[in-house]
Amino acid sequence: MKIELTLNGVRRILECEPHESLRVVLRREGMFSVRFGSETGETGAAAVLLDGRLVSAEIMLAAQADGHAVDTIEGLSPPLGLHPLQRAFVVTGAIQSGYSTPAMILAAKALLERDPDPTEDEIRDVFSGILDRETGYVRPVEAVLRAAAELRGDRPPPVEPALVAPLTLTEDGDDGGDRLELPRVAPRVVPSPEVPETKVVGKPETKVDALKLAKGKPAFVDDIELRGMLYAKMLYSPHAHARIVSIDDSKARALPGVHAVLHHRNVARVRYASGGQSFPNPLPYDQVSFDNKVRHVGDRVAVVAAESEEIAEAAVRLIDVEYEVLPAVFDENEAISGHAPVIHDEDGMEGAHDPSRNIVHHIDAEVGDVEAGFDQADRVFEQTFRVHQVQQCPIEPHIAIAWLDSDERLVIRTSTQVPFHVRRMVAPLLGMPVKNIRIIKPRIGGGFGAKQEMLIEDVVGHLAIATGRPVRLALNREEEFVSSRTRHPQTVTYKTGVTNEGVLVSQSMRVVGNTGAYGTHALTVQMVSGLRGLTSYNCPNKRFDCDVAYTNIPVPGAYRGYGAPQALFALESHMDDIAAELGMDELAFKERNWTGVGDPLDIATKLGEGAADMDVIPVITSSGLKECVAQGKRAAGWLRRYDPDWRMPADRPHIRRGIGFAMCMHGSAIPGLDMGAASIKINDDGSFNLLMGATDLGTGADTILGQIAAEVLGVPLDDIVVYAADTDMTPFDVGAYASSTTYVSGMAVKKAAEEVHKLIAERAAIMLDAESPGEIELADQRAWSADGRSVTLAEVALHSLHQDQQHQIMGTASYVAPDSPPPYAAQFAEIEVDIETGQVTVLSLIMAVDCGVPINPVTSAGQVEGGMVQALGYGHCEEMAYDEAGRMVNPKFGPYWIYRADEMPHIEAYLVQTMEKSGPFGAKAIAEIPKDGVAPAIRNAIANATGARLNAIPFTPERVWRELHGV
Amino acid sequence: MASIRDYHRPGSVDEALALLNRSGMTSVLLGGGTTVVAEPGTQPVEVIDLQALPLGGLVADGPAVRIGATNRLQDVVDAEMVPELIRTAAKREAPNTIRNAATIGGAVAGSNWESGLLAALLVHAAHVELMSASGTATVSLPALLADRSQLTGCIITAVVVATGGRSGWAGTGRTPADTPIVAAYARRHEGATLLALTGVADVPLLIEPGDVGGLEPPGDFRGSAEYRKALATTLSSRVLVSLGVDG
Repeated sequence: MKIELTLNGVRRILECEPHESLRVVLRREGMFSVRFGSETGETGAAAVLLDGRLVSAEIMLAAQADGHAVDTIEGLSPPLGLHPLQRAFVVTGAIQSGYSTPAMILAAKALLERDPDPTEDEIRDVFSGILDRETGYVRPVEAVLRAAAELRGDRPPPVEPALVAPLTLTEDGDDGGDRLELPRVAPRVVPSPEVPETKVVGKPETKVDALKLAKGKPAFVDDIELRGMLYAKMLYSPHAHARIVSIDDSKARALPGVHAVLHHRNVARVRYASGGQSFPNPLPYDQVSFDNKVRHVGDRVAVVAAESEEIAEAAVRLIDVEYEVLPAVFDENEAISGHAPVIHDEDGMEGAHDPSRNIVHHIDAEVGDVEAGFDQADRVFEQTFRVHQVQQCPIEPHIAIAWLDSDERLVIRTSTQVPFHVRRMVAPLLGMPVKNIRIIKPRIGGGFGAKQEMLIEDVVGHLAIATGRPVRLALNREEEFVSSRTRHPQTVTYKTGVTNEGVLVSQSMRVVGNTGAYGTHALTVQMVSGLRGLTSYNCPNKRFDCDVAYTNIPVPGAYRGYGAPQALFALESHMDDIAAELGMDELAFKERNWTGVGDPLDIATKLGEGAADMDVIPVITSSGLKECVAQGKRAAGWLRRYDPDWRMPADRPHIRRGIGFAMCMHGSAIPGLDMGAASIKINDDGSFNLLMGATDLGTGADTILGQIAAEVLGVPLDDIVVYAADTDMTPFDVGAYASSTTYVSGMAVKKAAEEVHKLIAERAAIMLDAESPGEIELADQRAWSADGRSVTLAEVALHSLHQDQQHQIMGTASYVAPDSPPPYAAQFAEIEVDIETGQVTVLSLIMAVDCGVPINPVTSAGQVEGGMVQALGYGHCEEMAYDEAGRMVNPKFGPYWIYRADEMPHIEAYLVQTMEKSGPFGAKAIAEIPKDGVAPAIRNAIANATGARLNAIPFTPERVWRELHGV
Repeated sequence: MASIRDYHRPGSVDEALALLNRSGMTSVLLGGGTTVVAEPGTQPVEVIDLQALPLGGLVADGPAVRIGATNRLQDVVDAEMVPELIRTAAKREAPNTIRNAATIGGAVAGSNWESGLLAALLVHAAHVELMSASGTATVSLPALLADRSQLTGCIITAVVVATGGRSGWAGTGRTPADTPIVAAYARRHEGATLLALTGVADVPLLIEPGDVGGLEPPGDFRGSAEYRKALATTLSSRVLVSLGVDG
């Protein structure tokens, strides 16, 4: 059928099918800013303006738009430069991955046209249909307020850090005084006198990819057009555990438009582990591309490649599969009881601890003598906690497109955090050498660990080889929930012995982890649980005892925080409860025991990840924790928790208020294992290309790594052209995980820049007739001799490239971190509990983080704000719920529920500087620690409010009600 | 969406009814499309888009307001003549992008058991105007929700609500904007009290306050039957007390 509409002001007649959504048709017309987020429309990634109203093009037929005006961001953007709204989003740090940024800007445009001076509530309401998994909505809201002011003729002040005086430099500085009133858009930085002055590092530079993201330009995997592309759809298992007795694909193959149907009978059986980790991938290798057995609802059965998605879907429905349904087990403790069905009973199973009892891994590590320690303790406390399964929910689900290039090399354009691991891991599955495979990582619409996998790249690779055509496979939202990756559920038991004075003398941690159907990340996530769960506090005797269980739930894997959120929920709850039992103040008890500078992370040597065995016990070299706590206490109004009038408001008798705290400690990369590399070369005009394998998944990694290069080379960030990542073009990097990018890739960039600095100095010394290259300094885009003479870097480049002893000034470096200095944080939560219904309302979240020196305070603050909100979902409302057959009952965002803009608590982040000398310009990691403390802080706040101590998350109304009412 | 085989945009109600009542073809009415397009069935259907029909408009008529069926939820939110409780419920019903497309007629036809908007309409004594090939009819909303087969072959043309009185609501959800697990809506007018509950039966219920304790709600992952029953009692009492009624 034909429809006529006005698209971005131009009358257009478009062809469409009756069933096609407006999103599909707009993208066909080149409106790549209109993006898929969910088939049910809640994400708003596909939001457009229809006659000036914001609607989701995902759940509107194109035919419905016939006769209407449709506006997308492409119509808003000037050919060069930015609209004031786009500019405001850029300078406030409102853009992370940028996947849904066009929708937000359109929403703001519609609002400002109605009301040039909107309230914050009005802004949050127009964002209510655009889910953001990255920013916590803080900066997008500020961006709209800023743009509104600018459009009204005001001149908002520049976005600069708000410097907050330290509270702990003097003995009596921790006074918990009045809360500060600071502009929310300003990142709050608590400076350290140890940190030297820098020109680019530490500054709120705008993201290097901001322009294309703000303008909605084609930047993501799906934003390319390939002639003859086929569309793939998977057939997933409807059963939690079953053998495939037979599979008949004849009807599917006979369907016109179908080009390939692949399954276990026509794809080579090559064992692998899908977790994106360094070589050799940790065992077990318990997956194959297609198996003759399915182990969870959503497991792969077959895949079809066809001329269209509709044909592929129809073909999938035509595949006849006969299953022998087997008993299933979902609970980790039941799975390892010895009485459960065996999930991996196949031949050739190797690398699992005891498959006959569904035990993938058993980990046992001890320091000192834990039992003797319990005997010495005055008091011994034991508690068991349960943490549940949630999904990362990147707004861009997994998507990959593969094709054979003119040299018949396989190119895979994929939304991945680990392009180099994917290349190495997919090669044997496809029977191709690594050299014949190229992985391209464009912009990514969020990952949070879900994309630290080789998840669907083998499928598109197989299909591209089978058909000779480009093939695209994109997961829809339900598939993302059940066939992607999730967070490991765990049962965690702590047993702790203390003296009457509140000193830890012995602590054991027993974890039963649930890795679902496959063991990807099973070892390493649980290792990190033990590491974080037993190194946050000093204790002479420690033991980690862990079994990881196979079950029939969809597969857990990497998720931002990687085992730490589970451990710290249990630990920080347990420590609060011990303090209460001892009659001690929670903060005082924790401070008496927490680790600080000079303390050993003794059990770390026994909980290394894979090959990363350590001989030397690492020692903490920097900690701003005490300052973090002081800043957080003041910001949270901590002392109110002791006021009964505040806790029990007289005008609302069913309400109780509370404030809770959790200490957080994380890591910065995997020492001795993670490697990053970078290459930098000079251009004719004195600018530089920075090529890296590091993977920016929306975090701003490209920007902060560019800042590091710019600082060393004495140029503004604008002079660094960043490109990452492409396995044909850029140096190796393990990818974005384990909080490694700033610390490891950052050091690689710094070293490469220092190499380039050296070459520039040598050339400049010749040009300036200086005595020694060592006297040359780089600043203000020039090379300076000691006597104050200078040449521009453009002159240096032209001289070296064209004029004399021609040579490409270029440096390449790699870096492996010997250490993993922990960032620390203090997390506070203020809540209300309705004691009659159990409903918990989170009013504010405050986090003060010691991440060393934040390379970019705006992007760092954005990481903390967004991470806290994701953590809020983990503790408060998100859960993957199943029926008795193992089918997820809430695989869409409405019933699953992630926080919307119009219901957010107050969010505040503080960046407490410390000078971590092993990191680039003093930096430590920041990406994951915001995930660690929210759940226990809320839990401890509920205890403060009501006395109820909940040992399981999430704090749903019924769970809290049952605890309060004893039912 | 592969199940949508054809799209029609009739220019009159008669034309729409003719399309709807064709034999041999399953037709689905399309208000905003937010449900039909998001959750298509597997059976082939043709959709009949109501947007060109003269079913919009809001008219105050004495102690009532007539809300045309194709008014979007956001239109209801914005209309000052509509009772405040209904406006509040319409705003809570869906996020901005959905409210800008979904219609009040669609909300009534959807009969969602967790719809606060329907509960607010119930306590405002809503009647639903229907048009079919045999003429027009007006059905009370409770009666329509109790027997949705009355919608077969019909087009909802308007919802008429009573104004006046004092009203309030209380609900419990996982988060502030979450669809409540159970919600209680109440209105007190000229000595009479109307109470409606969501999340306790397969459709929102208008219920006598004294009957709340006898409910046997279904359970799901957000709230067991036992919990929903307890919430119904607590929230009903809370909202009634707020209106000065003995809860």
